[in-house]
Amino acid sequence: MKKKSIMLAICMGLILPYSWAQHIWVSHDAQVSFYSSTPVEDIEGISKSANSALNITTGEIIFKVKNTSFAFQKKMMQEHFNEDYMESHRYPVSEFKGKIAEVEQLKQQGSHDVVVKGVLQVHGVSKPYATHATVVVKDGVIAASANFKVKTADHQIKVPSIVVANIAEELMVQVSAVYRSN
Amino acid sequence: MKVLIGIFLFSMAFTRAALAQGDLEAALGENDFNDHEKVTATFKSGHLINGHSIETVYKRELEVRIDHRFGDIAGDNGGISRFFGLDQAADVRFGFDYGISDRLTIGIGRTKGATAITQLYDGSLKYRLWQQTVDQHVPISVTLYGSTTVTGVEASTDPTSATAYSGFKDRLTYVVQALIARKFSEALSLQLSPTYLHRNFTAFNDQNDLLALGIGGRVKVSRHMALVADYFLTFRDRAKKEYLEAMSLQSFYNALGVGLEIETGGHVFHLNFTNATAIQEMQFIPETTSSWGKGQFRWGFSLSRRFSFSQRGV
Repeated sequence: MKKKSIMLAICMGLILPYSWAQHIWVSHDAQVSFYSSTPVEDIEGISKSANSALNITTGEIIFKVKNTSFAFQKKMMQEHFNEDYMESHRYPVSEFKGKIAEVEQLKQQGSHDVVVKGVLQVHGVSKPYATHATVVVKDGVIAASANFKVKTADHQIKVPSIVVANIAEELMVQVSAVYRSN
Repeated sequence: MKVLIGIFLFSMAFTRAALAQGDLEAALGENDFNDHEKVTATFKSGHLINGHSIETVYKRELEVRIDHRFGDIAGDNGGISRFFGLDQAADVRFGFDYGISDRLTIGIGRTKGATAITQLYDGSLKYRLWQQTVDQHVPISVTLYGSTTVTGVEASTDPTSATAYSGFKDRLTYVVQALIARKFSEALSLQLSPTYLHRNFTAFNDQNDLLALGIGGRVKVSRHMALVADYFLTFRDRAKKEYLEAMSLQSFYNALGVGLEIETGGHVFHLNFTNATAIQEMQFIPETTSSWGKGQFRWGFSLSRRFSFSQRGV
């Protein structure tokens, strides 16, 4: 009898905390894209396999995208992007770790405008960013999206002089994710 | 009872601590990144120096390529009187390769031809069979290459000549290669190229079928520059080789090319030195009679440019 009670107590103790893990919502098919526009050429890279997690209690948010998962209209660009600019063999992943200030809104149905602050690590260089994001909470799903600008020079991404006219100094970055309870 | 509550709280605290540690990052699951990602850019061009590389052209992309070989730098046919070979064009080729898919490339080319056999038109197929993966699930890349060359040269009346053609069939040559390569690191890629070559018609007592082994590699020296080299070992029938050498008063040598590769976003330039006068496999493998040792090597270059015909929307 006593043995059974002890087992039960351990099991309860181990299982119960998992219900608290529901604070963490995840997205395994988040989309990250960047857009470079110059008079010479428009270039767009899209990844549809970024990973993101969101803690709806603390507001902490994380995005991770594999650099080699970005696809381009011209396949050669993908090769150049990884080999020359991102140096993906050395820095395979770009990531953002931050926090949403208006945490309480993540539990309220509806569309909210929130502010996200955090650190973006690209090409091995970390830089603080703050941006507005739109969060839509509806029926057990949280959809979030944001736009912000990233300067290639801020992350020490070197653009060779021969193609300097083809690549914008400032890239428009767009992220979006649909989170489900983990 | 107190003990039970104690155990309950303890195990709970233990689990929570573990969860907090892993936190958001654990929720992402690192395993999602295990997708047998393919190794790209083992080489930056479809050619090493003389031979082909495993690289194919991407879907809906066209590679326009111009190869040029000058005359001997030194030796009897070189030196200052021939401006170190620059006065002469030993061979020139214009090639067009198009990606049907990322794996299959079709190509056509026109080559001057460096031996008695000139006016060469070639058609080729290149198929990427295996592609090396980052996680070593596939450790090597294998590409199959096949080409047919037809010559437009006027048929010779000398029956022992290599161009004494009696019909169209005699003008055809075939090359089949299994290109096997591995990118060992960002800076080093090596390749083996077992080659089978068939000439429907040859000079008297020459071999219709030939086997050769190509060995090549690329060493990156800076972000946009690399050293590239390749060597073709030709397996000839000894008696026939000696006969041909005695008849022509020339010796056969294996082709060795070394060069500097410069890549500038869409363009690839090769500045190279090779003892082979010919550009095409069907000529430089069986008929290289110039030797590095006698100063019979030449400056050559190739430049290739990629054009994309992809529609918008990835």
